[in-house]
Amino acid sequence: MPAVEALRERFEAAGTQVLGVSVDSIYCHANWACDLGGISFPLLADFHPKGKTAAAYGLYLEDNGITDRATVILSADGVVRFAESVGPGGERDIEALLARCEAIADEHGRPSWTPPARRLPAGATLYVKSRCGFSRAALLARSNLHLEQSIAIKNVTEDASACEELERIAGKSQAPCLVIDGQPKHESAEIIAMLVEATAPVPT
Amino acid sequence: MIAVGTKAPDFTLPDHLGRQISLAGLLGRRQVMLLFYPLDFTPT
Repeated sequence: MPAVEALRERFEAAGTQVLGVSVDSIYCHANWACDLGGISFPLLADFHPKGKTAAAYGLYLEDNGITDRATVILSADGVVRFAESVGPGGERDIEALLARCEAIADEHGRPSWTPPARRLPAGATLYVKSRCGFSRAALLARSNLHLEQSIAIKNVTEDASACEELERIAGKSQAPCLVIDGQPKHESAEIIAMLVEATAPVPT
Repeated sequence: MIAVGTKAPDFTLPDHLGRQISLAGLLGRRQVMLLFYPLDFTPT
């Protein structure tokens, strides 16, 4: 996954959206992605019903309850152009897969859509609480979107002055709270959606 | 494993950044590479 993340712009230039798929939950995905140094392309949770999507592609290994390690490339018309399993313990050659994507784009037409350049406004601060799942979710999104440099962190549980500061700005000490240009935004789902929209929008 | 030349089954699944990703919503404008893998916290 990190090898794909590193080549993200070249996959985009080849008109290719990369999606990771396994049977783990979105919470497991977010923590693992952060462990890997941040993954911004979608890691999909084929979690409930377990393995349903993998099974539709003939890639769910029912005896073990896991998904095969396999790559499927679709041209923009939704037709399978490449499908290869390396086995659960195998290793993918990401450079070779990029070359496949480029060749398929050349053969079947390079899609014209390019993601808009968007940036988070400067001077953002994320206020978080200790032992708070919602704060953790916002922190994981900050890492997975590579926003460590552009969003400062203040912990209102450990830092009394940060707590006072947040109360002054937002009128309450509820965290997580993302403050940009003095404007507070609460609720982790809304904070994460805003960060995604600013940096890694994916059409749905 | 799904055969080359067949139409890919559609799906909509949640991702680790709170997005609902629909295959049909992506296709048309872009091609898609699906990386199926056994489990998180294992080699990739």
